[in-house]
This record gives sequence, structure tokens and C-alpha cells, in this order.
Amino acid sequence: MKSLTDHANSPQMIARDIRKSFGEVEVLKGISLEAGQGDVISILGSSGSGKSTFLRCLNFLETPDSGHIEIVGQAIDILPGKSRVTLKNEAEMIRKIRTQTGFVFQNFNLWAHLTVLENVIWGPIHVLGLSRAEATERGAALLDRVGIHAKKDSFPAFLSGGQQQRVAIARALAMEPALLLFDEPTSALDPELVGEVLKVMRSLADEGRTMLIVTHEMAFARDVSSRLLFLHKGMIELEGTPEKVFQRGHSERFDQFVASIQH
Amino acid sequence: MMDLFLSVLAALNEFSTTSSPIDFMLILRHGGLFLEGLINSFTLVALSFTLAALFALPMAVLKWGRVPVAMHAVSAFVYIFRGTPLLVQAYLIYYGLAQFDDLRDSIAWTVLKDPWWCVLIALTINSTAYQVEIYRGGLEAVPHGEIEATKAIGLGKLAALRHIIIPSALRRCFPMTGNEMIFLLHGSAIASTLTITDILGAGRQLNSEFYLAYEGFLAATLIYMTVIISLTKFLNFIEKGIMGHIQLTSPTPNVLP
Repeated sequence: MKSLTDHANSPQMIARDIRKSFGEVEVLKGISLEAGQGDVISILGSSGSGKSTFLRCLNFLETPDSGHIEIVGQAIDILPGKSRVTLKNEAEMIRKIRTQTGFVFQNFNLWAHLTVLENVIWGPIHVLGLSRAEATERGAALLDRVGIHAKKDSFPAFLSGGQQQRVAIARALAMEPALLLFDEPTSALDPELVGEVLKVMRSLADEGRTMLIVTHEMAFARDVSSRLLFLHKGMIELEGTPEKVFQRGHSERFDQFVASIQH
Repeated sequence: MMDLFLSVLAALNEFSTTSSPIDFMLILRHGGLFLEGLINSFTLVALSFTLAALFALPMAVLKWGRVPVAMHAVSAFVYIFRGTPLLVQAYLIYYGLAQFDDLRDSIAWTVLKDPWWCVLIALTINSTAYQVEIYRGGLEAVPHGEIEATKAIGLGKLAALRHIIIPSALRRCFPMTGNEMIFLLHGSAIASTLTITDILGAGRQLNSEFYLAYEGFLAATLIYMTVIISLTKFLNFIEKGIMGHIQLTSPTPNVLP
């Protein structure tokens, strides 16, 4: 029988030796990461370093070639050379993992023909089995939390990018996931809209949520994260607290990367 | 009062049969015939379109989803029934199948000897083939990101199809679907070649009885046009209702200076 403290300290996410190739190109060369409750881990790296691919492997939007992934106790081992046909209960496990990982996309990916509120309550109703009334209550509260309640009956096309991304965050939160995954959430936004989304993400971090964020926002990453990860060509180049990672001299590649970002 | 009406009627008749280029009173006297034709056409088109839609949507999903074996069966079906004219298909079913003794002895014959059923089957199969491609086009046009979002939220494939993908796809291909309804109405005119009194059939009957080509076919034309214009208005109304989520890029249309 696990005690409460055990549960609080057990990792929310374990990824071990994740490898992924696209055709001939090996994008991930064995990434391992563990995230505990309340960890906010920012993943940095230049394009092609594999950071988005790694994030997408965690909820099986990409299937890794090999490795071990465990989310809140649900574990899947991907053995190298395994046939493409997945077993029935593995598909079910992947589905369970996906309900525990809230994913926020770079391009928001809201469902265009549904209103803002419908976008948020669809998951709870059709995946979690909530009644429409319960889901609406939850959804309305979350939309209020991200500051979009006034637009709940609008369609996504009528909202700005920043507003759409906040709706996307509310949609992910509505599933009450253990882990939040952000794939370059502000990269597709106009600069003046970036702030409103970062504000929401900061408040989520302050709340103690477990978050993995792939981002180019260096100042934000430095400020909000408990840990930073710097990927280079599919491998972890640097890992540690923001102070440690940003100390000059640790890695030439990282210093070059930081310099190239700031222009 | 009644006298006035009757004399006007008589005058119109007189004018219509002698000096008017088109004997319009003849058409009006055969209103019942054209009504029968309208009902037949409408029933055939409405039934065949609906049945075809019920078959075509799952088939389109199978082809779009690249389900092994099924996708090839669907492709073969589409090849065959888009590859031949509707009239040829109808003749093969009505005249061709009568050739087989076994078929004539079987229970299917009760249905297949009736031209109405043959036309319904021909229209349905033909429209299914076209609608499969229309719906498949709609499905392909659903943004891949929206589909990924259904995966990321843990929605199973069937639930995602039912709640997100198909509603999105059908909205995208709605104008083409409306087109298919109109083409089906045009195509239903083949029924008149198989002894059925549809709109065109009524016109032909008038023609063969009185040897007046314009009267019969003009009336048929006007009826087809009226039906299609009404249908188009109805489709526009529906389109406005279901496409409310689209934002025009500018409040006024881009007009060249």
C-alpha cells in the first residue's frame, strides 16, 4: 500500500533511451528523461535537434523505434524491430496515456466547426464520459481561468492567435491530465500576443503542474523552469537547473545557440 | 360571373389551338400527367440519392483510411461505375439481366422485372460511385492538425470520425454534394427511356400523342428548371447554416480597381 508521500514523489513521466528515425535520418539517438510532480522542464535546441519529435513520442503522436515510456505508471516498452501491427491492449494503453498527457500544439489545432466552448468540452464528454452539464461547468471555469470566457460561443476562426492558443490550453486542461506537453506554443504567434499565452503558462507552473515545454522563449524558460534540457542533433547536450545551464562555458554549442537566438 | 370565366377560358382555348405558337392550354389540360411525372422523378431522385449517400460515406471512409483490401474493392467499384454511362448501366440492369433464365426464375425477378426498381438501382449505384469520391475529397481536406488533436486527446478512431472528422469533411464538400443532387436529377431523365412516366416521360407522352414537340418538352424543361432552382435555393440556405464557422478574409469582397 503506497503512502501519500510515495505517490507525491513518484515520477509522473519516465522516458528511457528513446530512439526515432525518419527513413535514413536518425532524429533521436537515445534520450532519457524523468519528470516528477511539479517539475517544469523546458526543452531547448535548434531546429532538427529532435525536441518536438521527442515530445510527440511521449504521447505516441510519433511512434518511437525503441525505448521505454511510462506516464503515471502506465508503461510501454518499444522493442527494436517490433512489427508495425500493435496489439489491441497496447492501443488501449496508448489511449490511456494520451488522456493523461495534455498536448498543446504550435498551430493550436482547434476544431474549426465547433465553438470555443464545444472545443473544450468535447474531450471530457466523449473520452471521459462526463455529462454535458458537468463538462460545460468544467469548461466554462477553465475558459474563465485563461481569460476567454466572453468568447465561449465564438468559432475559432474569429479569434486571434493568442486567444486560440489559450482555448487550446483550456482544452488540454479540461481532460485533467497528469502532465502538460507544450510544443512551441508561442512560435506561431505575433510577438504582441506571445505575452498573454506565457502568462497563462506561468500561472499553470505556479499552480504546481507538471509541464514539459519545447520553446524558443529563453527568458521565459529561464524564469519558469525547474530544469532545462538542451538537445543537439538528437542527444542531450546539457541538462540541469537554469542557473547551471546558462552559466557560460559549459558548452560551446549552447553558447552559440543562445547567441543565434538573440538578434 | 361563371359565364365570364367560361368565355375567357373558351377564348384562351381558341387562341391557344389556332394562333398561338405554343398550345399552352394543352399543357394545362394535361396537368395531371406532368404532376405524375414530377412525383415519379422526385421519388426516384430523393430515394436514390439518400441510399447512395448511406453506402458512399462508409466506402469513402474505408478508402480514405486506406483500410487494406477494402480500399481496393472501393476503388474498383468507383472505376467501374464512373467509367460507364448511366444509360448503359440502366439498360444492362433492365434489358440485360432479363437474359438469364436462372434470374428470371428466382425471387429477385419480382423486383427486377419492374422498370421502376431497375432505374432506382441504376441511379443508386451510379450516384454511390460519384459520392464516394466527393466524400473522400472532403475527408482528405480535413486539416491534419485537427485530426492529430483528436488523437492527442485520447479520442478513439471511430469516435473521432463521428464527432470531428466527418462533420468537418461534409461541410467542406457540401457544394459538391449539392452538385451531385442536381446531376442526379438530370440523370433521372433516363427513366423515360425505360417506360416510366417521369417529368421527361410526361413530355414525351404529350409529344407522341399529339405530335407537338415544343409543348411537351418545353413544359418538361420548365418543370426541371423550377425544381432545380428551388433545390438550389434550399441548398444555399443550408450552406449558410452550416458554414457559419468560416471567417471571410476581408469584410468586403476583393474587387479589382
